[in-house]
Order: sequence, then C-alpha cells, then structure tokens
Amino acid sequence: MISQLLKEATPSFAWWRNPEQWRTELFAGLVGAVLVIPQGITFAYLAGMQPEYGLYCAIFVTLFASVLGTSSMMSGPNTAVAILIGTAVLPLAGRGSPVYVDFVFLLCMMVGLIQLLFWLLRAGRIFQYISPAAISGISAGAGFLIVMTSLDSILGLSTFSTTFFYEKLYVIASDAVDLISPYSLGIGLCTIAAGYLGRRYSPRYFLLIAVCVGYLSGLLVAFIWPQPVTELEYLGRMPLQWLPFNVPTVNREYLMISTKLFPFAMAIAFIGLAQSLVIVRELKMGTDQDINLDKEVYAQGLANFLAPFFSSFAGAGSFNRTKVNQRLGARTPLSGIAASGFVLVLITLLGPVLTYMPMAAMAGTLFIVGADMIKWLDIKHYAQVRSELIIYLATFVSIMFFGLATGVVAAVVLSVSVFMLRISQLELKLEEMPSGTVVRIKGALFFASISQLTEEFHRRVDEDLTVDLQYTTHIDQSAVDFFSREAAQMAVRGKQLVLLVNARQLQFLNSMGLSGQVKLESLQDSVSNEIY
Amino acid sequence: MAKLNIFVVLLLLLQMSVVHAQQPQPQNQPTIEQLLQEPFLDDYYSNVVHGYEIITNSQKHASRYVGNALNCTTCHLQAGTQKDALPLNVAGMYPKWRAKNGKRNGIGLRIRECFLYSMDGIMPPEDAPEVLAIAAYISYLSQGQVMGVEPEGRGVPTLQDTGYDPNPANGRLVYMEQCASCHGEQGDGSGDVPPVWGLDSYNSGAGMNRIQEAAGFIWANMPLGNGRSLTHQQALDVSAYLNLQLRPADPGQSKFLKLLEDFLN
Ligand code: HEC
Ligand code: HEC
Repeated sequence: MISQLLKEATPSFAWWRNPEQWRTELFAGLVGAVLVIPQGITFAYLAGMQPEYGLYCAIFVTLFASVLGTSSMMSGPNTAVAILIGTAVLPLAGRGSPVYVDFVFLLCMMVGLIQLLFWLLRAGRIFQYISPAAISGISAGAGFLIVMTSLDSILGLSTFSTTFFYEKLYVIASDAVDLISPYSLGIGLCTIAAGYLGRRYSPRYFLLIAVCVGYLSGLLVAFIWPQPVTELEYLGRMPLQWLPFNVPTVNREYLMISTKLFPFAMAIAFIGLAQSLVIVRELKMGTDQDINLDKEVYAQGLANFLAPFFSSFAGAGSFNRTKVNQRLGARTPLSGIAASGFVLVLITLLGPVLTYMPMAAMAGTLFIVGADMIKWLDIKHYAQVRSELIIYLATFVSIMFFGLATGVVAAVVLSVSVFMLRISQLELKLEEMPSGTVVRIKGALFFASISQLTEEFHRRVDEDLTVDLQYTTHIDQSAVDFFSREAAQMAVRGKQLVLLVNARQLQFLNSMGLSGQVKLESLQDSVSNEIY
Repeated sequence: MAKLNIFVVLLLLLQMSVVHAQQPQPQNQPTIEQLLQEPFLDDYYSNVVHGYEIITNSQKHASRYVGNALNCTTCHLQAGTQKDALPLNVAGMYPKWRAKNGKRNGIGLRIRECFLYSMDGIMPPEDAPEVLAIAAYISYLSQGQVMGVEPEGRGVPTLQDTGYDPNPANGRLVYMEQCASCHGEQGDGSGDVPPVWGLDSYNSGAGMNRIQEAAGFIWANMPLGNGRSLTHQQALDVSAYLNLQLRPADPGQSKFLKLLEDFLN
C-alpha cells in the first residue's frame, strides 16, 4: 500500500522518453500560455485577488499539476474555484486587503489538504457518481455568474452586490445614465463584437482577437480623452516575481477562521477534483495517454497545497484549455509545464503593454467565455431523460439565485439521489408457471429495494411463489430477513416460497441464517454473479 | 438596610458609567508600531496597517498604480503625520465640493488623483483595495479631529507675497547650494532621496508642480531636517526653478504623449 502511494507520489516524467513529441508539446504550451493569461487575470478578479496572483496560479498550479500528473490536462486558474474562493472569503475581509489574501492562502492550503485526503482514501472514484448533467449544470451556472460579474467592468460600475441578480439588472437599468460609463461600455462592446466576429474566422484564436481589439479600442479612447475624464479602470503594472515565495500565515486566530472556511474548502476541493477528474476521464477514454486517476488526484491536491507557498490561489483542470491543448496534438504533461514557463516569459515581455489593458476589454473576453459556458444545446441533450433534465435545471437555477456553493450542494444531492433511486429499482419479471408464479429479480436486493418486492408479494397472497435470484447482483441481511418473514407468513396460509439460487448464493443465504421454511433450489449451471 | 445598600451600589454604578461615557476615547487607539506587532488584526486595523505600508512604501505595496520612483511619504512626510507637510489627518474634510467636476467628492478621489499626478501612475478604481486601505489609514490618522474643521497645519503654509516674482535663475543658485547635495545636480535623487524632476518624479499636473504649493512645502520642510531656514523668496525661487524642469506630462492634457512616455519608461 505504502509503496504504491510512494510510487504515485513521485513524478514519472514519462514524456522524457519520446523527444519527437516535444516540439508539438512546446507549441501547445505556448498557445496555452497565451490563453491562460487573460483567464488568470480575470479569475483573480473573481476570487477578489490582485491580478498577479492569478498569473502565479497560472504558473505554479499548472506547473505542479503537470509535473506530478500523468495527462495532458491543463490545470490552473478555474472559474468555479475562483468564484467559490470569492464567496468564501469576501464576508470575512475586504477584497484584496492583506488579511483577505492571508485568508485565501489559508483556504487554499485547506483545499489542498482535503484533496490529498481524498487521494489517501482513494476517494477519487466517488466522482463517478456525479452525473454529467450536474457537471454541465454547474458549468452553465458558473458561466452565468461570470457573465454577471463581467457586466460590472464592462459597464464601469464600481462593484455593488444585490441579493439576486435581477435586482442588480433592475438597478442598472433604472439608473443607466448615471451608473454606466460610456467609455468602458464602448470598449467592452468592441471586445465582445470582435470576439463573436472573430470566431467565424478563427475558432481557435478568437479570444485573442477579442482581447487585442479591446486593447486597441482602449488606446483609442485614451488617445481622445484623458484618464481623469474617462476614469477608465486599467490593469496596471504587474509586479511579477520569478519566485514569489511566501509563507502563509497560520496562527491560532487564523485557525479559528479556518473553521468558518472549512465548508467552502470542502466545496472547492470537491468541485475542483470533480472537474479535473471529468476532464481526465474524458482524456483517458478518448486518447491513448497512460493516465492514472489516483495520481491525478494527488497532483491536484499537492499543487493546491503548495500554491499558497508561491503566492497563488487554488486551481483545477480547465475544460477550455485542455480542449485546445488536445486539438494541438499535445499528449503529455510537458505541454502544461511548458505553458507555465511561457506565461512567465510572456508576462515579463508584455508587462509594459499590459499596463494599459482596460479592464473592460478583459471583462469583454470574460463575457464571451461565460456565455459560452451556458450551452443551450445541453438542455436539449438532457431533455431526453427527465431526471437528468431536472438535475441540470435545478443546479443551474439554484446557482443563479443562491450562488455557486448552494448550487454545487444541490447538484451533488440530486445526482446522488437519482443514483440511489436508480439502483434501488428492481426489474421484476413475472411468469405464470403451473407450479405457481415465478418472480425473476434483476438488480440489487437490499433494504432500499425490498419494498418493491413486498408489494409484489402482497398482491399474490394465495399463490405459491418462486423467486429467481440468478440475476440479482447483491443480497443483504434485510433481504434474508424479508424472505424468512414472508415464508413464515405464507406457511400459515399453506403456501410455499421457493428461491432459485446459485451455489454461492446458497452458501451465503445459509450463513446469513435464512429460515428453514424457505425452500432453496440450487441451479448448478446458472450464470453466477461476480459482484456479490 | 440591605435594600439601601443595593440602591447605593446601583447609584455608584450609574455614576461610573456616566463618567465613563463622558470621557473622550479616541486617544487610546493603538499606535502603528503596536499594530505592526500584532499577530492578528481585524479587517479595519489590517487595512490601516496596509494603508500605512502603502504610504511608506508605495513602490512595493501599490506598484500596480505607481509610475515614478516616489512614495506617498516623500511628500506627505513622516507617513502623513507631520504638520505643514501635507498631513493626512484630513478625513473630516471630505466629501467636499469641487468646482472641477461639479460634484461632491470623497477622500477616494483625492487619493486616486495623487496616484495619477503626484505618483505619475494610473488612476486606481474607486474600490481598489489600495485606495480603501489608504482611506482606512487616513481615518485612523484623523481620530480625535473635529469633523468639518480644518486640522492644524493642514497642507503646506501659504507664503505671504514677497512683492517679487519668483526668479528661477536665482532658484538655480539656491538649489545647487542647498539641495543638490541630496537631490543631485540633475535632480534625480539617490538612495533614499527622491528625484525632484525627470521622468521618475511627479508629473506636471501634480500639486507639487504649482509654484505656491511647492514653495510652501520647501520652505517648511526642506532642506530635510532644517526646515524654515530658507527665506520665503528663496523658497519661491527654487520652486520656480523646479517648475521649469523636465518632468512627465500632465495626463489631463496630452493623452498620446502620456501613453508613449509610459511605453518608453
Ligand atoms: C509629489 C508629492 C506628492 C506625492 C508623492 C503624493 N502626494 Fe498627496 N498631495 C500632494 C500635494 C501637493 C497635495 C495637496 C495639493 C492639492 O490639493 O493638489 C496632496 C494632497 C493629498 C491629499 C489631500 C490632503 C488634504 O489636505 O486634503 C491626500 C489624501 C493625498 N494627497 C494622498 C496621497 C497619497 C495616498 C499618495 C501616495 C499614493 C500621495 N498623496 C502622494 C503631493 C503629493
Ligand atoms: C538632507 C538631504 C536633503 C536636502 C538637503 C534637501 N532635501 Fe528635499 N527631500 C529629501 C528627502 C529624504 C525627501 C523625501 C522625504 C522623505 O522620504 O521623508 C525630500 C523630498 C523633497 C521634495 C518632495 C518629494 C519630491 O521628490 O518631489 C521636494 C520638492 C524637495 N525635497 C525639495 C528640496 C529642495 C528644493 C531642497 C533645497 C532647498 C531640498 N529638497 C533639500 C532630502 C533632502
């Protein structure tokens, strides 16, 4: 066990062995770096942090996750994680203040630790129970939140929050002339328009086109009107260090705070892993990469735990960047490692230019990213199955109204309950035989599914019953008790209960103390079940 | 008897609480040094400390918005606590009406303007963490001031009219004699001494670039440690000299130049 853990904990560097792949990986890394810079900056904003922390996240979380991981997944700043960090810490301290930053680091360490615990407990597989509809719902909800926050910067509002989103829209609409800054609105609209037009011509680089057009329109505005007039919000200089080493503050008072942060740390750890593992699973199914899921859990956990030591906040796998990465032919973690290096180089080179990046242009790109996450096609896709549709819509709507954390809880609860409902459903096949009714049971026979069988039994009180258990996947104590009880009652009425079982079931039922009133018929040649 | 005793105790308690309430309390707020020692600060005090750090080391803590080599404390001496050197205990004076934009403006705008002009940077948004932290520090400094009443030693002293126009040529002599030892003959400063002109100094839109304002500041505080040693006329002359030197453009006027300047810088 321990040696297996140790093996998972050491980076494998398998990509080292095929140098012919390196060039592709490096190029994919470069594109990844270009994509992650605006995301890092804007997600830092969502997390309530200064932009450089987002870039550190793009550098270090990506680096650690890729060095330790086994897939070509691009980790780094992640929307849902960033929003959740914001919701967790904003009530405790003023956005961006030093205590705020300390709290965020504390929170991220907790997230990392929780994820490492997931790894130690081999809990990665519980994410298989989260329905894809829930993940889509969360992602759509996060997209909605992104669009709403991007409005702040596009319209040039100073941040104000309302309980529900429509109140905000109402306030903006009712006082548009006073609240909205025409300059930043102009820049924002140019950015968005450029993004949607650009997509027609270059679906790969349209975000880049959007940012560039936004930047240029910002320059144009600055050329005509001076800053004291426009009061435009710019990105500003970014004091990026190559090794932003930082020791997170941990003391008694902070540990008190950490109890308040704990539920959020859980939610973030969960949501981060859920997204990463969904991506990794897709990669594993769709490509021939040699992927180890547990190792990916470990990589995410350690990357997030180490993040605060490098002045960065927690991250997770990114759907959009992994997609691009894959399209460019990346197949190993080297692309992620390269991406993090390129971010550092690009920012150092672009620094002076980025200073005058209007936030409205950033927000415009964010708007596009957010709007893309709300996929109307998904609704159609899930409309086929009612339960999926309900999960999707309930998640989405509760995120819209009550925030991401609530939405995540709703999604988990709903998908687990759908899962429960589904496995507690028995498939009963009734056959009228001369010897009496034969009930064939498909599914798991356990405390939750027995009631269904009870109904069937009570409908046929005056018949001899034969129950065929060949296709039953699981039998538990309460099922054994049930059969004993029913057999006793039937015996009073002079009826007989027969169970058709295979050899293993026979042994099992006897060891569980099945009453002698049940007659067991062993089927030697039956298809026995592996899952017991 | 017992009842009476209780009554007396109650009365005493009441008296004490009244006395207590009458005492003004602002004086016993912790000093910055004490705050810096604390392992844990609540939101207000942590912002105060952050504000203090920005004022004393803007280069490090507010680098996002700073465009030159100055810190707030190079003009707002002693971290904004020195009288006649633009002290920052002015929270009670805001919001205030401004002819410039015809609105009432809070302390936030004033802070942001110092970033734009004095620090030759870019204007932070109203709700930037840096601005809020400085605002908290300013409120902290303003404890005990009466709201709406100008604190003693606000801004810089206004020099009386000397009857002569400020003379830059004479100012140059004063500068070389009295100031160059610290600020350098090229005005570029060195080490802890800030530049007084050049691209790393305040820009032409800054308050310090107004001859009267600078003269008041220089007369009261410069040469550092030996303030009020110049005559009014010398102070006016030397500020006129400073005023003529090359410095970053006023962001309120030449927009394009400003952008170019920033790319070159
Ligand atoms: C180059 C010198 C200089 C620097 C550096 C400077 N200021 Fe000022 N500041 C001034 C002058 C001069 C005034 C007053 C003149 C005016 O109103 O324009 C002033 C006024 C102020 C006021 C209003 C004071 C009052 O009495 O109402 C505040 C607040 C302020 N500055 C904050 C800051 C902050 C914060 C910084 C650092 C980011 C800073 N200043 C940096 C020169 C400077
Ligand atoms: C002993 C060295 C010294 C001398 C001499 C001196 N200064 Fe300064 N000056 C300073 C320092 C140091 C500061 C910054 C204050 C601080 O950091 O506490 C400063 C700040 C200033 C500032 C405001 C900040 C800036 O960069 O614009 C001006 C203006 C100024 N000095 C002008 C003068 C003038 C004019 C003289 C000559 C009359 C002079 N100084 C003489 C050390 C000196």
